[in-house]
Amino acid sequence: MAEFLTEKRQDGLLQISLQKDWVFANLNALQAALDAIEPGSATAVEFSCGGLDQFDLAGAWVLYEKSMDFEDIEIKTEFKGFHAAHFKFLQHIIDIAAQKEYVPGYFDPKPNHWVADGIRKLGSNTIDAVDSVGFIARSVLDGIKRPSRLVIGEIIRQIHATGTTAIPIVMVVCFLMGVVLAYQSARQLEQFGANIFMVDLVANSIFRELGVLLAAIMVAGRSGSAFAASLGTMKLTEEIDALRVLGLNPNEILIIPRVVGLMIALPFLTVFANIAGLLGGAFIGATVLDINWFAFTERLATSIDVNDVLVGLSKAPAFAFLIAVTGTLRGMQVKGSAEELGRLTTVAVVQSIFLIIVADSIFTVLYARIGF
Amino acid sequence: MATEYEHVIRIRGLVNRFGSQVIHDQLELDVRRDEILGVVGGSGAGKSVLLQSILGLHGPNEGTIEVLGQTIRHHQPGPHKQWGVLFQDGALLSGLTVQENVELPIALHSNLPVETRRELALLKIFMVGLDLKAAGKYPNELSGGMRKRASLARALALEPKLLFLDEPTAGLDPISATEFDQLVRFLHANLDLTIVMITHDVDTLFGVCDRVAVLVNKSVIVDTLEEIVKHPDPWIQEYFGDPRAVRARKAAIAKVEN
Repeated sequence: MAEFLTEKRQDGLLQISLQKDWVFANLNALQAALDAIEPGSATAVEFSCGGLDQFDLAGAWVLYEKSMDFEDIEIKTEFKGFHAAHFKFLQHIIDIAAQKEYVPGYFDPKPNHWVADGIRKLGSNTIDAVDSVGFIARSVLDGIKRPSRLVIGEIIRQIHATGTTAIPIVMVVCFLMGVVLAYQSARQLEQFGANIFMVDLVANSIFRELGVLLAAIMVAGRSGSAFAASLGTMKLTEEIDALRVLGLNPNEILIIPRVVGLMIALPFLTVFANIAGLLGGAFIGATVLDINWFAFTERLATSIDVNDVLVGLSKAPAFAFLIAVTGTLRGMQVKGSAEELGRLTTVAVVQSIFLIIVADSIFTVLYARIGF
Repeated sequence: MATEYEHVIRIRGLVNRFGSQVIHDQLELDVRRDEILGVVGGSGAGKSVLLQSILGLHGPNEGTIEVLGQTIRHHQPGPHKQWGVLFQDGALLSGLTVQENVELPIALHSNLPVETRRELALLKIFMVGLDLKAAGKYPNELSGGMRKRASLARALALEPKLLFLDEPTAGLDPISATEFDQLVRFLHANLDLTIVMITHDVDTLFGVCDRVAVLVNKSVIVDTLEEIVKHPDPWIQEYFGDPRAVRARKAAIAKVEN
C-alpha cells in the first residue's frame, strides 16, 4: 500500500511519510496500509506528512490509534512536518482520547431473563388492563349520572367513524361469507338430497356466530388500530398532557367516547352483517341451488327463531368493549418513539382479535350450557 | 483535491412561489469557503424554503443552486457525504440510540468494519461533548440540548465540509445556548467547516457568525455584521435596532476589545 504512505528505515528509526488524502472516504485503505507496517527492529517511529493533501478527523483517528499501538509495544512515536491545520486534527483527537472513559462491556448485549421478564410483563399488563376496565366502568356510570356535552358529541362522532363508515366493507365481507357457506353446505347436503337445509346452516352460522364475529374482526382491524395509532400519536406529541393541563381528563374525553361509541356501533353493524350474509346465501340458493327467494324465506322462518338472532347480537357489545379497551389502552401505553407506536398498534389489533375469539368460545360454551 | 468551485454554495436567480404568493424572487447568494453565515429574516420570509431548496428537499420554480460544485436537483442525491444537517428539533431516529443514530450514516456510506464504525461514532459523540452514558440512550431520554448535540454528532459523522444548522439554539436555555455557540465555534476552528445557520438568536448571530444574510423583499442582503447594521432597509433597521440585538452587539464588541 505505497499509495498512502512510504516507509524509510534508518538504524532504529522508522520514518513513515504520509501521502495523498487521509480522509474518511479512504479509511479502509488507510487502515490496511497502517496494519501492513512492520516495526521490525525499530525503536522509534516518525510520522511526517510533507505530501499530505487532505486530512480529516477520521484520518487523524486511525493514525492516532496506530501510534497508540506502537506505544503499547514501547516504540516511541513522533509526528513531524504537519501543517498547523493538519496538526489541529491530531491534537484534537488526542484531547478527546484523554477525556474518553471506556466502560468495558458497555455495548455488550444485556442478558435476557425470558421467564422473569415475561412474568413481570404479564403482571403489569394485567394490572393495566384491570385498572383501565375499572376506570372505564366508573366513568361510564358517572357519565350516565351527569352526561357532559363534549363527550356526547364525541361519542356520536365515534359511532360514525367506527360504525357508519364500516357498513360497506362489513356487508361485502359477510355477503361473500354467505356465498361460501351456501356453497360448502350444499356440497355436503347434496349427498342426502337435502339441499333446502342449506338455509338452516347458513342462517344459523351467520346469526349465531359469523355475522358478529366477522363484523368484530373487521372493526378490530379498522378501528382498534386507529384507536391505538391516534392515541399513541397524541401521546407522542404531548397532546394528552395538554388536555390534562387544561383540566380535562384525557381518559374521559378520549377513551370513554371510543368505548361507548363502539359498543353502540358494533351491534348495528352486526345487523347489517347478518342481512348481508343471508343475502349471500339466498343469492347462491336462487342462482345455483334451485332454492328460489320464496323457498328461502319460508325455510328461514322455520329454521331460526328470535333467540338465534339475540345470541349473535348479545356478543356484539362485549366484543366492542374488548376492541375499544385494547386499542385505547395500547395507544395510551405508547411513549418515546415512533417505533413503539407501530409495535403497540400491531399489538392492539392482534390482541383484540385474539380476545374476540376467546370471548366467543366462552360465549358459545356458556350459551350451550344454559340452552340459549 | 483541486478546488473546482469558487463558492461552497452558489445560488442564481432562485424563484420560489406558492400559488400566487412569491417567496423568493431572483434570489442570489454566495457562501464563501470556511465562513459561518447566519441567515435571518422575519416569519414567512422564506428561510426554511431557502434551506429546503439548497438541500434538494424542495424544487424551486426557477434558478440554479450549486453546492460544493454540484448542481442540486429536487429529490435527487446531492453531495450527501460532504454536507451535514442539524434539523430544528434534532430529527434523530427515535427507535435508535444516539450511538446507532451516529453510526447510521457511517454504515450507509462506507464498508468499514463494525468496530471501526463504532469507534468513529463514539469519537463524534465525544467531540460534541456527550459521554458514553448518553451514547447508549434513546433520543426521548435526552434533554433538548443533548438531543441537539447528538444530532450535531450525526451531522458530523461523515466529516462534512458544509454544515447546515436550522435554529441551533432555539428552545435551549441561555446557558445551553451559549455552550452550543461555543461548540459551533470550536468545531469551526478545528475542522475545515463552512457553516450556514438559520437563527433567530441575536447572541448567536453576533457571537458566532462571520457574515449575515438577511431575507427581505423576497431577496437576500449579505454583509458582515458591522456593515449590515448600517443598511437602510427598514426591516433590517428594526431587527438590529431592537434592544436585544443592540445588547448582543455591544456584548460582542466588548468581547473583541478585551
